[in-house]
Amino acid sequence: MVLVLALGDLHIPHRAPDLPAKFKSMLVPGKIQHILCTGNLCIKEVHDYLKTICPDLHITRGEYDEETRYPETKIITIGQFKLGVCHGHQVIPWGDLDSLAMLQRQLGVDILVTGHTHQFTAYKHEGGVVINPGSATGAYSSITYDVNPSFVLMDIDGLRIVVYVYELIDGEVKVDKIDFKKTATTTQASH
Amino acid sequence: MKADSNRSNSTQPPNWLAMLNQKKKKFELPLKVRKNVVFPDRLGSLVIGFESKDDAILGSDSEFESGEELETFQPHAFGFEREDDDDGHEVYNSDDGKSELRIKHRNEKDGQNQVSVAKLIAADEKRSDLEFELSQKEINLEKLQRIASTGLPDGGSLRATTWKLLLGYLPPSRDLWERELTENRLKYKKLKEELLSTPTEVTRTKDKSDSSSEPETSSGTDGQLERHEISQEDHPLSLGKASAWHQYFRHTEISDQIDRDLQRTHPDLKFFSGDTPSSKKSREAMKNILLLFAKLNPAICYVQGMNEVLAPIFYVFSTDADEQNAANAEADSFSCFVRLLSDSVDHFCQQLDNSPVGIHSTLSRLSEMLRANDDELWRHLEFKTKVNPQFYAFRWITLLLTQEFNFNSIMRIWDSLLSNPFGVQDMLLRVCCAMLLCVKSRLLSGDFTANLKLLQHYPDINIEFLLQVARDLTPDTSSYRLSL
Repeated sequence: MVLVLALGDLHIPHRAPDLPAKFKSMLVPGKIQHILCTGNLCIKEVHDYLKTICPDLHITRGEYDEETRYPETKIITIGQFKLGVCHGHQVIPWGDLDSLAMLQRQLGVDILVTGHTHQFTAYKHEGGVVINPGSATGAYSSITYDVNPSFVLMDIDGLRIVVYVYELIDGEVKVDKIDFKKTATTTQASH
Repeated sequence: MKADSNRSNSTQPPNWLAMLNQKKKKFELPLKVRKNVVFPDRLGSLVIGFESKDDAILGSDSEFESGEELETFQPHAFGFEREDDDDGHEVYNSDDGKSELRIKHRNEKDGQNQVSVAKLIAADEKRSDLEFELSQKEINLEKLQRIASTGLPDGGSLRATTWKLLLGYLPPSRDLWERELTENRLKYKKLKEELLSTPTEVTRTKDKSDSSSEPETSSGTDGQLERHEISQEDHPLSLGKASAWHQYFRHTEISDQIDRDLQRTHPDLKFFSGDTPSSKKSREAMKNILLLFAKLNPAICYVQGMNEVLAPIFYVFSTDADEQNAANAEADSFSCFVRLLSDSVDHFCQQLDNSPVGIHSTLSRLSEMLRANDDELWRHLEFKTKVNPQFYAFRWITLLLTQEFNFNSIMRIWDSLLSNPFGVQDMLLRVCCAMLLCVKSRLLSGDFTANLKLLQHYPDINIEFLLQVARDLTPDTSSYRLSL
């Protein structure tokens, strides 16, 4: 039972001052084993804060990050799953499923976590899963101002993943659940 | 030295030949004594055995060291002196005297071999007694207690079965054993499933029962993944009290502590320590038991030391020769652990420390018992050296002496503790008192630091002798004694 937090696009301090209080009260240390951050934190203080929640932190570089040494992409193996992280501004058109699927095949992962669009999405596409945790602070994106704060928590248990989506809608935290099971042939995508 | 004067009273001259002659005579005596004590084919015999046990002159179990045995068969002058508590203790407690006696007797290697054969015969007879008792349809608990208090044989399943009977886990009538065991083991399994499963497993089983159409569709079709709304309690970050996740995370702290303690349990025994898969399995099983106990008793939770109390039980049940029993050692150990702890559980609760059932009250009972049996020693400890029982006996009592002796001695002592008809606590206090009396001379000559050091690292001692002294003590008749 491994808990993996996926979040990103916080844009602190440029576009948002901080995470929503309700999110912060839920993110206590000791529960989460890994954090996957898509990028655009943007400053070191946010990095330190995320480190206090969980020491195992994986970040990829977003275009506004002040830390230049984050990698463009990252691949992590957790349990039976291979997860890939990338900010997403590199993949054009932004948010396009086919292009993201191409990136996923390139990285050779089961689940690709990207951001940049600031909208939560979870798609099953061409043999892989693409998850976009949205923006954890609700910062405006290059595309739209209408953004709800959201992040994603994945519970990896053997071949099964339960994805919990946390969204702040009208000041209330709404939680949704997505079940996903990995079949043996998921990674071998032939085309 | 008093020991010397005692010996000079006897007619035995302290020289080799005389000793040898003495010993040759002695070989008939054990057999004679044993005839009085144990008749495997007659039920009435064990009553006789019991009586002669009360008779401090004849130790009915010949597992005394050769030194002791010889002394009992000496002319009555010696034997009688042994009955008298103070004097007797003087003889044995002056370490020089004791070791001197022993050295003399150990010089004869001949005698040693002969005596150990006698010991083997006695042990064999006891084992057959025990087997006979256990094979009865209706087991006589009293007789079992009597045999058990003389020590149970290692190996086989005798100790495991006897302990289960003594703790009340198995009923006295053999016919009900099968049913009881399967019932209890099933109960344990259910309890484990209920309380120990991770929240992921819980939600998984809930989902399976709720929706028959699992998202199997996700394996085929592409497209946006279906989102299911869930309540505020069902997600891992939930802070709600009723949330299974919240409770799970609260208990991980306890679980970590239990893990750490288990790593340190008996590091010298392969069964518990090391990285072999079998020792890991043992530790995993023990962790489950302790975690379950902590969850079922939130008032006491887990206290450091409970792992030590569990260790002998789990070991004995896991090394049961009977395969099925050994495989179910976890379930059996849990029930027996709960039973064992039920009368001493108040010692672990901090709020009850100063109450009549708490640890301080028990410590003062120990003090009173010591005073009743040996005023001089009590005075010396209490007033002169100010060694408060709290400093040494706390660990003795709460952990049932598991930290004071090596593993085999612990099992022997626990045989006696469990088989006392007046309960474990009563015998425990007696043994603690006996421990003090046995090192009396060293305590009398020591100051605060020396005494404390001695009592906190109790020296090696003949366990049979210790238990004999414990049995002979005057019982605790203090007025504020509550339990029975």
